[in-house]
This record gives sequence, C-alpha cells and structure tokens, in this order.
Amino acid sequence: MLLFIIKRLLVIVPMALIVVSITWGLVRLAPGNFYSGEKKLPIAIEANIREKYGLDKPWYQQYAMMISNVVRGDFGDSLKYEGQSVNEIIRRHLPYSAILGFSAYLLALFIGLSAGLIASLKQNSKFDYGAMSISMTGQSVPNFVIGPILVLIFSFGLYLLPPARYNGILSLIMPVITLAAIYAAYIARLTRAGMLEVLRSDYIRTARAKGLSEWTVLLRHAIKGGLIPVVSYTGPALAGLLAGTVVVEKVFAYPGLGSVFIQALLNRDEPLILGVVAFLSIMIMIFNLLVDISYAFLDPRIRYE
Amino acid sequence: MRCSLGKVRLGVFSLVLSLLVSSCGTSAKGKYYGKTVAPTDGIVRYVTGSEPRSLDPAIGTGQPEARIYMALFDGLVEYHPKDMSPIPALAESWEISSDGTEYLFNLRKNAKFSDGTPITAKDFVYSFRRALSPELTAENAVLAYFIKYSQAYNSGQVFVKDSSGKFLLKEAAEPKNEAGLPVVELAKTSVGTQTEFDKFINEPERLTVAGTEKERTKLYEKDTKLKDKLAGMEFVPVTPENVGVEAVDDFKFRIKLNQPAPYFLGLLAHQFFKVVPQHTIEKHGKNWTRPENIVTSGTFKVAQYRPYDTLNLTKDENNWDAENVKLKGIEFYPLEDQTTMMNLYKAGSIDAIFNHTVPAAWIREIMAAYPDEYMNHPEAATEFYVISVKKPPMDNVKVRQAFALAVDRKALAKLLVVKKPLVDFTPEGIFPQYEEARKKVQDVKLKELNISEEQWKNRIFDPERARKLLGEAGFAVSGSDGNFQCQNFPIENVSILYNTSESNKVTAEFMQDQWKKNLGITVPLKNMEFKTFLPTLTKVEYQGFGRRGWNADYMDPFTYLGLFYTEANDGATGWSDKKYDELLAKANRTIDTEQRFTILAEAEFYMMQQQLVVPLSTAATNWMKKPYLKGFYPNPGTLHAWKFAYIEPDSAKWDKDVYNIMKEKDSLFEEQLAKLISTQTQFEEKSKAEAAKTATP
Amino acid sequence: MENETVKGTSLWKDAWKRLKKNKLSVFGLYFVAFIALLVFLGPILLSYGFGITPDQMPSNSDLLRSMPPSLKHWMGTDDSGRDILARVLQGGRISLMVGLISTFVSLLVGVSYGAIAGYFGGRIDSIMMRIVDAIYSIPYILIVIVLLKVFEGKNTPEFIKSISNTFGGGEALNQIFLLFLALGLVSWLTMARVVRGQILSLKNQEFVLAAKATGVSTFGIIFRHLVPNVFGPVIVYATLTIPSVMLTEAFLSYLGIGVQAPYASWGSMAADGIKNISIFPWQLIFPSVTMALTLFSLNFLGDGLRDALDPQTRKF
Repeated sequence: MLLFIIKRLLVIVPMALIVVSITWGLVRLAPGNFYSGEKKLPIAIEANIREKYGLDKPWYQQYAMMISNVVRGDFGDSLKYEGQSVNEIIRRHLPYSAILGFSAYLLALFIGLSAGLIASLKQNSKFDYGAMSISMTGQSVPNFVIGPILVLIFSFGLYLLPPARYNGILSLIMPVITLAAIYAAYIARLTRAGMLEVLRSDYIRTARAKGLSEWTVLLRHAIKGGLIPVVSYTGPALAGLLAGTVVVEKVFAYPGLGSVFIQALLNRDEPLILGVVAFLSIMIMIFNLLVDISYAFLDPRIRYE
Repeated sequence: MRCSLGKVRLGVFSLVLSLLVSSCGTSAKGKYYGKTVAPTDGIVRYVTGSEPRSLDPAIGTGQPEARIYMALFDGLVEYHPKDMSPIPALAESWEISSDGTEYLFNLRKNAKFSDGTPITAKDFVYSFRRALSPELTAENAVLAYFIKYSQAYNSGQVFVKDSSGKFLLKEAAEPKNEAGLPVVELAKTSVGTQTEFDKFINEPERLTVAGTEKERTKLYEKDTKLKDKLAGMEFVPVTPENVGVEAVDDFKFRIKLNQPAPYFLGLLAHQFFKVVPQHTIEKHGKNWTRPENIVTSGTFKVAQYRPYDTLNLTKDENNWDAENVKLKGIEFYPLEDQTTMMNLYKAGSIDAIFNHTVPAAWIREIMAAYPDEYMNHPEAATEFYVISVKKPPMDNVKVRQAFALAVDRKALAKLLVVKKPLVDFTPEGIFPQYEEARKKVQDVKLKELNISEEQWKNRIFDPERARKLLGEAGFAVSGSDGNFQCQNFPIENVSILYNTSESNKVTAEFMQDQWKKNLGITVPLKNMEFKTFLPTLTKVEYQGFGRRGWNADYMDPFTYLGLFYTEANDGATGWSDKKYDELLAKANRTIDTEQRFTILAEAEFYMMQQQLVVPLSTAATNWMKKPYLKGFYPNPGTLHAWKFAYIEPDSAKWDKDVYNIMKEKDSLFEEQLAKLISTQTQFEEKSKAEAAKTATP
Repeated sequence: MENETVKGTSLWKDAWKRLKKNKLSVFGLYFVAFIALLVFLGPILLSYGFGITPDQMPSNSDLLRSMPPSLKHWMGTDDSGRDILARVLQGGRISLMVGLISTFVSLLVGVSYGAIAGYFGGRIDSIMMRIVDAIYSIPYILIVIVLLKVFEGKNTPEFIKSISNTFGGGEALNQIFLLFLALGLVSWLTMARVVRGQILSLKNQEFVLAAKATGVSTFGIIFRHLVPNVFGPVIVYATLTIPSVMLTEAFLSYLGIGVQAPYASWGSMAADGIKNISIFPWQLIFPSVTMALTLFSLNFLGDGLRDALDPQTRKF
C-alpha cells in the first residue's frame, strides 16, 4: 500500500508537465492572441509585443523556456493583467473557491446521502419517489435558472439575502445552495444505485442471516460498499470545485477561480491558463489517489499490488 | 398518502410562485427601481465592466479602465461631463499655433501627486515619452502618432544621415509616412519662447526608416530606389528626446505635431496622455501599480484593491482641485453579467452602472416605469456590417447595394429599442456641424449623379430596388411578396460573421430573416468567440458580412472615416482606394473647419457609393443611475469626470425625468464647471486683448 | 424485434415486469417516448399545418415581440417575435441529440475503458487512469475552440458532413455535430472512473474466480460476467451524463462556441429566458419545464432500468 502511494505521488509531477505541455500546444493552436483587440495594431507595435514576450523565437525555444519555468514552479506574470503573477492570482482566488466548493459539497453530501439511503431502503415507495424527486431538481433545472430564482425569492421577495457579491457569510448561502443542488442529485442517485447493489449481495445476506440487526448490517457492512460509486465521483468533483464553478460565480458575482480561469481561456492568457491547469491536474491526481486509497478501506476485497 | 405529498408539493410550488409574482409586483409599483436611499458615507458604488487590465493608464485600452483612470489620474485636459469637449485639468490654459501644429500648455503651479510630489512639465515629458517607448508596448500608442517623431520612436526607427552630416528629409523620400498619415507642407509657426529643441523640432521633417537591417531589407524589396538612396548612409536611432514634447520651463509644456489635427486637443483627455509619477515607476518598475506602491495624480487615490472584487478609491487631499471634489470615495466593482448588476442596482448595492447594461428585453418597461433613472441619450457609437469586397459575389457593387437596401433598418432599430437607424456611415446627432456640410455635399452629388430624391430618401430601405439590382448583377429574384427566391445565388460563399453577445445574435438573426424575406436568400450565421472572431475579421478571412461596431476615439468624424484609410486599414473589408485616401489627406491638411468637413463629407459620400458596409444602427446610451447621484451625465462616451459627481441627500432635489438631464441647469454643477473653464477663457481674452494692442499701433 | 428478444430469453420480459412495478419509471418511459415523438414530428406538423417555423419573425410592419401565450402561439413568442413552441421542439432535437450521443460515447468508451483498467489493474490500470486524469485536466473549452477552428469550413471531416447533410446540412449544422463530437470526447471520463471502481471491487468475487477456473477468456470475463454486474451504477451514471452534457452545451453556447444561431437548445433557451423571468416568464417557463420534465423522466427511467436489470434482483 505504501509503495503504491509513493509510486502514485512520484508520477504526479511528470503527469502535470505532460498536461501543461498539451495545454500549451492547444493554446498555441487556438486562434487569436492575448494582444489582439478590436483595433488593428500597427505592425511595429505588434512586433514590439512579440519581441517582449519572446513570441518571435522558434516554437521549441519558447516551449523549452516555458517548461523550464514551470518546473521551477514559476508561471510568470499574467499577460492580460499587467504586473500580477500567476501564482499570486491563483493564491488570491483559491480560498474563495475552496470555501464555496467545500461547503456546497458538504451540503450536497448531507442531502444526497440521506435521500439516497432512504430511497434505497424503501425502494419503490413514496419515500423513494419523494426523496429522489427532490434531489433530482438540481439535476433537471439548470443552475443558471435555480440561482436567479433563489435571488428573486430571497433578495427581492423576502429581502433576506444580498443578491450578489461576496460580503460575508450571508452572501455564501445562495451560491452554496445553487451549487449543492447539482451535486446532491448525483450523490443521491449514485448512493441509491450503489446501496441497492450492495443490499442484495451475498455478504449482506449472510450478515442478515447471521441475525445481525438491520442497523448494524447497514452501517457496518452495506454502507461501505454502497458508497464506492459516490467515492469515485467525489474525486474529480472536488478537484473541479476547487478550480471554480463559473456559472454560479457569474450569477452571484463571486470572486472564485472559475471565472478567472474562463476569462484567461477567452483572453488567451497563456501563463494563467497553464498555471490553473497545472494546479487542477495536480489536485485531480491527489484526489483520485485519495479515492483509490479509500476504496481499500471501504472494500477489503480491493487490493493494490 | 400520495395525495398529501402532492398537496405539499403543490403548496411549495404556489408559495414559490406567489413570491416570484410579488417580487416582480413590488418592483413595478415603486417610483424608483428597487431600494433607493442616498448613501450617507459620501461613497459612490459603481459597476464599470470587466476587471481592469492594469491601473497603469498607458496600458489599459478599454472603457472600463478609462473610467477608473479618470478618477486616478489627471491629464492636461479633461472630458466635459456633458459633451466631452476638452476642459482644463492640469493645464489651466493653452494656446495653439496658427497652423495648428504646435500646442503650448500653461500648467497649474499647485498640482501634486498623491504622495505630495509636485507635478511639473517634466513629468508630462516623462509620461509621454514613457507611454511611447517601444519597451512598454502600449497598444494605444497609435493615438499619439500625430506628435512629431512619436511613431518613429515607438516603432524603433532611425534617422538617415549622409556623409556630410546632413539628415535626409521626409518629403524627398516618400509622400506619406507609415501610418498613412499624410505629410504636410506647413508654415513653420510656433508658440512660446524659442528654445534649442523648438528649433530642432520645427525643422523640416526628417526621413525615418525601420531600425533593423532585416526590416529595411523588406522595405527595399518594395522600393528598390530606397536601397540606392540609403546606401552608405549612417543610421541614427530616434531617441525619446527627439519626440515632439518639451518642458519649456517648469510649468510650460509644449507639443509639436507633424500635421494639424483639429481634434488633437480633445484626444489629449484620453487616458493614454495622463501624467504618471516618474519617481515611483523608476523605484518599483512594473510593480508600481500595486496598491502598496501606487502614486497617482488624479482626484482620487487607491485605498484598497481586491482584483475581481472591489477597487476602493478615496479622495486625494493632495490634489490641486481637492476643495471642489465632493465625493469621499468611489468603489468600483468589476462585473459583466447584466442580470447580476441589475439585481445589485435594484437591491441598492450600487448607485450607477456603466453603459449598455439594461437587458434589451427590459428596456421598454424600465424606460416607461423609471424615467428618473433610465439614461437614453445619443452615443458616439455605431453598428454596421462590413463586407468582404474582394470575394465574389460581394465584389460586385450592385450585389452589395442590394443587400444593404434589403434591410429594414427602422424595424431593426425598433427591435433594439433605444437605437436609431444608421443612414450613412458617420452617426447622426453627434457632429452637428459636420452633418450640415454633409447635407450640402449630398445635394450637389445627387444632381451630379442624377439620383432622384425619392431613391435617395429610400436608401434606408428599398427592397424593390434591391431585387432589381441583384437581378442586374446576374442573380434574378423570382416569386412574390413573402416568398422570394434567388436560385442561382452562391449561398455557400457568404455568411454573417459575428462575435458572441446577446445583441449581436439578435441583430444577426434579424438580418438573416430580412434577407430571406426580401431577397429570398438565407445567409448562414457564423458566431465565434471573440478571440477567434478577431483574426477572421481583421485579416478579411471571412466571406460576405462581418459584424462591426465603432466607438468614437475623439469627437470628430475622422474617427469613423479613417477606418477605410488604406494604410491604417482598420475597416476589414479589403478595400483600398487612392481617391478616398487623397480626399482624407486633403481634409487633414485643411485648417478651416467648414472646408475640412466638406471634403470629409465628399469622402464619405464616395465611400458609401461603393457600399463597403451595411449601416445598421446608431447606439444610444443604455444605463441607470440612482436619482440621488448628481453631476453625473450620460455623455456620448459614458466617461465620467468624477470630481463633478455628488450625492444629494435631499430627495426633493433628486434628478427628475432624466431624459432632459442635459438641458437642466444644476447650479452646483454649472458653477464648478464655469470656474474650471474660466482659466482658459480668461487666458484667451487676455491674448486677444494683447493681440489687439499690438495691432493698433 | 421485440418478439424475438422476448422469445429468445425471458430476461427482457422479466425486466419489463420489474420496470412496471416502478410507477415513476413507467411514467418516465412514456414521457420520454412522447417527447421524442413530439420533437421529431412536431416541427413538421407546425410548419405544414400552421406555417410556423422556429426562426420566422413577424413581418416588418408589425414587430410584435415577447407576446404571451395565445391561440396562435401556444407558448408565446420570444424577444425577436419567434414562436417559442416551434423553437422548443427544434431545440429539443438538439438537446436530446447532445444527450444521446454523449451518453452513447460514454457507455461505449467509458465502460470498456474502465472495465479493462479495473480488471487488469497494476501498471495497465495506472497508465490508463493517468490518461483519464490528464484529459480531465485539460480545459475542454480549449479543446472545443481548437476543434472548431481546425475543422472549420472546408476542413470539416467527411463523416461529420455526411451526418449533418442528412439533417439538411450547412455550416451551422456541421458545427453542431462537431460540438457533439467534442462533448462526446470528454463525457466518458467519469464513467470510466466509476466503472473501474466497481470492477476493482467485483473482480475478486467468487463468480469471477469460478469463471476463470472454467477457462472463460479474459474478454468474456470482463464483458459477460463483470460488466453486466456493474449495470446499476452504469445506467444511473449514464442518465446523469445526459443533463450534465446538456448544461455544458448551454454553457458553451453562452461562450459562443456552442450551438449556432438561429438554432437553439433547451439549455440556451432557458439561459435567454432567465433574464426575462420578471417580465416575460413564459420565455423561461416553457423551455425549462420541458427540459426539466424530460430530465426527470430520463432519470426515473434510469433508476427503474437499473432496478429492472439488476442481476441480483433477478434472483429473487
């Protein structure tokens, strides 16, 4: 197990470099430049810009330069936001995304797991239908619809919450609910499916046959195996949440990493794109490693050679 | 049981619905849109659009930044809050040489940066040279190219010196310089005291060529004579000291242009020409704009900056005009989502929003329900479709005319609610003096070309003639009203290219529908994300039509007509025409305004006969402000001189019926403005009197 | 065809019986079928029967926009005066297609990929899963932008053109199908992870060992024995993919790299409609309620199918 973890940790950096390289290639293939604007630049100014940022050098030199900087953890300055370093930008917006993302995921876990458990234990009953219907709302109604409707109700109907911008804990409520709605639906349905699978499996039947109480069976045996699909889903979901959730951020004017990243993509702000992608890929690999480790705890049958 | 569950759900649903309805209801009943309480802290909260690129005024190019720079930095002149004409700022007065190429500014003696360092003419020289330095790669540098040798310095060019030590002159080598700005033979007049620099800068313009051998080789390929001419010559780099800006003394700043440009004074209010602190920039380098380092020259200074969230400014007590600044501070929020900012506005969290922020579908309702808040005024911005004129079938002028005539622009304007149809290329209602000249030119031309009044009047929409023209071009339109067909039109060779935005989409869909209805041609739509769209448009890679808008850089029709100037080639149509270029060049040589406008109008008429564009609409401002925010006007560029803004606590004095806000005389505002302008008017009167005195004996 | 399967094995018949037990699933099935039929036939009926097409605007003289539902326009009209019903039907084609194609890809690629990685484990698993991680980390918006540029105009692959030609052709449709392709490319990743996780836990169970002992080929073990046992989560996750892909499509359209105007999708119509919720609520309600009902139905159908096809359930 320890060897497995070390191996996986060692692979993270080279993998991140590969991802960064591919992304770099894609940015170069994408049409447009960070400096292209509505007005045509005189040739001389464009030449100056290209020289300043080393764009006049052959591509392999530019690539080598980029990689050697990235290896040192230095992504340089944003091309769009003059004088702000990429590391600084990520460090500034990450906490916002982390708070929003984790609270939303916790709420989603609470709603999703309860709904999923109820549904699986009382399959095909009105509890099943009711729990699933509620949790599915977040899945069936887009979050760019849920958000504004919440605003209409809580900001302009009840005058309880500020409609947008981050200004203390109160302004987190609606973004968290909107975001949690989507994830709750996933978790509820994956829990229900996973639990139903497990509840009918041989070892649960054996446990039941042994005369263990229903609760013991559920908590000690079933829930572990039943959660595997949810756990699989949680890895990438959490990493994605850290990288921000653009729609919710836009609706609530929330300063998370998501809008920064989308803007960077649309601006062709190469250093910023590469920085966020590198961060995101490392997070994904770490979270997926945690997921794989937790498999082993949830299900003793899973072993890693 | 199931029934009860249904009931619960129905109950929840109806509760939600009633809340939705009630929340809409309350908004419609009030006199003002949402919560309207004048803030007591003296701070205005404003949404300015996307996150600023930098706090360095030489870097940011957009309007969102421009509004921030107007608070943070002062320049020689400032935009008039109502009509955007230049009014005194750090220059309390100025004079212009009789040939219109030399400007002398008398600076204020009490001006200070936010750290208390005095602002002198040297700071302006530094700021101009820095903004133009090739290392800064400022995208706006082109705005300063009227300043003598500024383009040469900005592009890293060199002078050419022969063996006898004499510099080669420009006129002898080529008739035009690189930006396509014509070289003009001028009377060498100047204003202010004679200096060494003045002598140098008033010498005939020297020839400048590309700074590197590689680029010169490229020039030689085009012009073989140039190679012979430059053989054996010495190349002397153009230095910042060569640029036509000079500190005559501590408080006199002089600018020399390479041609008269009647709109140059107005251009000087632009962010690119604001004064920046040399000492701070040299100390901190590129980090000088960080909140902990930044030193500013404007009426406000940075208090706190959280990118993507808030930029807090407070009043700068060191500013020369501090006693007239009424706000204690400004909070800028970078926001782009229309619904979000309307929500914040409604909740009373912001006091005003930038332009084009009320969603199109809401305008009619908002305009009717909130006349004290909705800003609908003329704007110096147009929208049109450029045509790729080199690619068939659009290379045929008749086809182009047919497409232009087959669009009901009035219906389009109605669809876009506050916009007005754009008839010719330069907008109506912005340059009244030019419009008079244009009317006269048009009358003459119509007689010359034998165009009937009827046909001329119908140039805004004439589907009948459109079909006829298309037929003449070889694409016969058959069928009858509501069911036209144009069988042999090569539909695969045209498309409507536009960049993503709600209003662009609405317009494009409307255009598609119009051409389908009136010509029987369904032109495919092509929507692209902005950065994909740009190269496709500017390199004229598109076929058919491309969506274009133009906001005036300065208050002169040349800002529009210059788009199709061959070498500037900003028009993205692939069109280039000697006659048009010559007309524009001639206009720029002409100092008399009326004469100049007549020539420009001829150029516009000529260009419109070629139908390079399908004119669509003239924009109107489309934003809201709370009635308690006063001294804040919907000028044609939505650029606000913040020192005039104030918060009126007394609701009896709040702005009413803002459709007439431009005509209303707010005494507080008028007095402040008059006081500010008086330094220049007094100066003019004094010079006039002196001139009269010298003339009498 | 149905007859054949029923005769061949009672599996499907049993499944159908079990599915019928779940009332909501049955409702879901009928509703999805109804919507599919409506979306397929509706636009044709509307245009021949009433002369209403999705991108038709009112004639120049009477620009009647944003009209509430009426006898002529059952769902009202939008900002440009177009019939919302016609647009909902046409948008449904695109939305359903986006959902189906991506789900198909995620079933085909995601399931086999995840199953192979999970079954072999060790180094193969490591490599395959790191590839998934890598693709997951590359911003798909960038992939879509590049894909659209590279395959633009004349460079559109032939197979895309031929598919789009069967639906009328044209560049706007080409781009829509390119978009489907791009969405398909990224939609299988989580499915692969989910399946792999399940297979990891199943592969050491007795029935697999038994199959191995009796000499069943590796391929047979994976696809005959293991994959059917993960159907539950797979079906659930597949039905979860549909809404998420539809929303991704709406987001891409918002950025200008999605569905080309004048085509619309439910997602993009809802996005347009939400802005006008306080003034013209029908512009939001009709597209989003249609979408929500369809997704609800699909999800309940998914849950029902899961229960019905669950191999363990069969034993009871």
